[in-house]
Amino acid sequence: MQDMEKVMMKGSAPKNIDPTKFSFVQVDAAKCQACGTCDDVCKTGAIQAVGKDEKRKVLDPAACVNCGQCLVNCPYGAIYEEISFVDEVFKALKDPNTVVVSMPAPAVRYALGEAFGLPAGTHVGGKMHAALRKLGFKLVWDNEFTADVTIMEEGTELLNRVKKPSHGAPLPQFTSCCPGWVKFVEAFYPELIPNLSSAKSPIGMLGALAKTYGAKQTKTDPAKMFTVSIMPCIAKKYEGLRPELAASGYRDTDVTITTRELAYMIKKAGIDFKSLKDEAADPILGEATGAATIFATSGGVMEAALRLAYEVLSGDKLKDVDLKGVRAHEGIKTASVDVPKFGKVNVAVASGLDNAKKLCDEVKAGKSPHHFIEIMTCPGGCVNGGGQILNPSVLVGDSGCRKVFAEINKRLAMKAQA
Amino acid sequence: MSENTDCTRRDFLKLAGTAAAVAAVAATVPGMVGEAQAAELDLVTKRQTGVYAADANPKLYKARKSQENPMVQKLYAKDGFLHDGPTGHKAHLLLHTHYFDRSAGVKALKAKGIKLKA
Repeated sequence: MQDMEKVMMKGSAPKNIDPTKFSFVQVDAAKCQACGTCDDVCKTGAIQAVGKDEKRKVLDPAACVNCGQCLVNCPYGAIYEEISFVDEVFKALKDPNTVVVSMPAPAVRYALGEAFGLPAGTHVGGKMHAALRKLGFKLVWDNEFTADVTIMEEGTELLNRVKKPSHGAPLPQFTSCCPGWVKFVEAFYPELIPNLSSAKSPIGMLGALAKTYGAKQTKTDPAKMFTVSIMPCIAKKYEGLRPELAASGYRDTDVTITTRELAYMIKKAGIDFKSLKDEAADPILGEATGAATIFATSGGVMEAALRLAYEVLSGDKLKDVDLKGVRAHEGIKTASVDVPKFGKVNVAVASGLDNAKKLCDEVKAGKSPHHFIEIMTCPGGCVNGGGQILNPSVLVGDSGCRKVFAEINKRLAMKAQA
Repeated sequence: MSENTDCTRRDFLKLAGTAAAVAAVAATVPGMVGEAQAAELDLVTKRQTGVYAADANPKLYKARKSQENPMVQKLYAKDGFLHDGPTGHKAHLLLHTHYFDRSAGVKALKAKGIKLKA
């Protein structure tokens, strides 16, 4: 076990693992105090009390979507990550024959600074690019570029469905960026799979483009490329291992690490993050717009998609791009957007799988009035992802009311048992 | 934000759902619970606020619509890598995927009598 930014990491990934047979998070029974915080935040019921002492356990990978909300909310740091690819990344960075490629997600840059004492929410994209180059990444590409490409693909797909919905491609269309949500549909609502956009997530697209288009543009042998997905998310480790994501002829994503693991690497390399000067990503697969960066938050994919859909459907320029009606802190938000020459575009945005369930049931019953629905598993979106820097107020110290409350819950649970 | 913010909204929710003994404890620290609730919302809100500020900052992002990204335009240009456009043939091969029915594992758990929430 290794401590990376206050989260215990069990070890390196075994070769050729089947991600479906694997729990990406698990409970350390020695640290679990049976307080039940994880029960509350887990919306699938994958984590449950086991045995007499009520200690929690992820029962079976089939029910877990790997979101890691249990981990980031555990007051005792009792939940650990099963696999870390950090060793593999360091090894690749040392190998002169390997071209290591960075692919950081939008949300990473809004939390990474917290590991270095910067205020929450500080945009550290420029410093992050500089740090990646210092670490030895040869091609600093950025997943924000493919967030823009996702809008082109997923947005165009939506317009096609609106024009001509079919059995195989019905309305409403669901977003497919969030790997926890995608696994949730596959496991709990398989009948809604046709509603999921067929567009890969931005990282699915970047891996595939890196080893084809990117290799051509930079005259790099794709066989020598090692693509590192850097995510605010544990479920992205699962996504990166999906066997079908090998469109380039290679593994599109070689490994996935989290915001915490990147912070750990920067510290381990002795880089003074705060004093780094801002640098841009390498443009071919790195340039991005504001529409891409808002993928980091609940409502962002929807807003970015509407900035495209409005212009295509109406033929007019969208003057005010701030579509505040779809910005969602948490819960469910619905909106009806008036598009000239088309009519109303009905949309819904939800974060948290309990909210997603409500929208899924509506679609299943054939009662959904929406054209497009954005779902993110983590409340508030990827900025609050399971791979992000921990909220310092979550872990109990030597004192504090969390510990008192957890103690009381524990005693009550024991009493109820007796 | 004060120092005693190490209990969060979830603690509060948990308390609301448990026994009267716990409610009595909560009653002694109402201010504390309120602040804690604000503290947790705060971290997510701060990050979200950072996101929207960056979106609106032309020094960070020159354009605000994906279709105006010059590198996206280059990718889909008539002589570009994806010259048949979004959802075109090549885009389908590289940028689209398919999904799998994974409900068997969930059904098996339920058949064993394990209660799941979905």
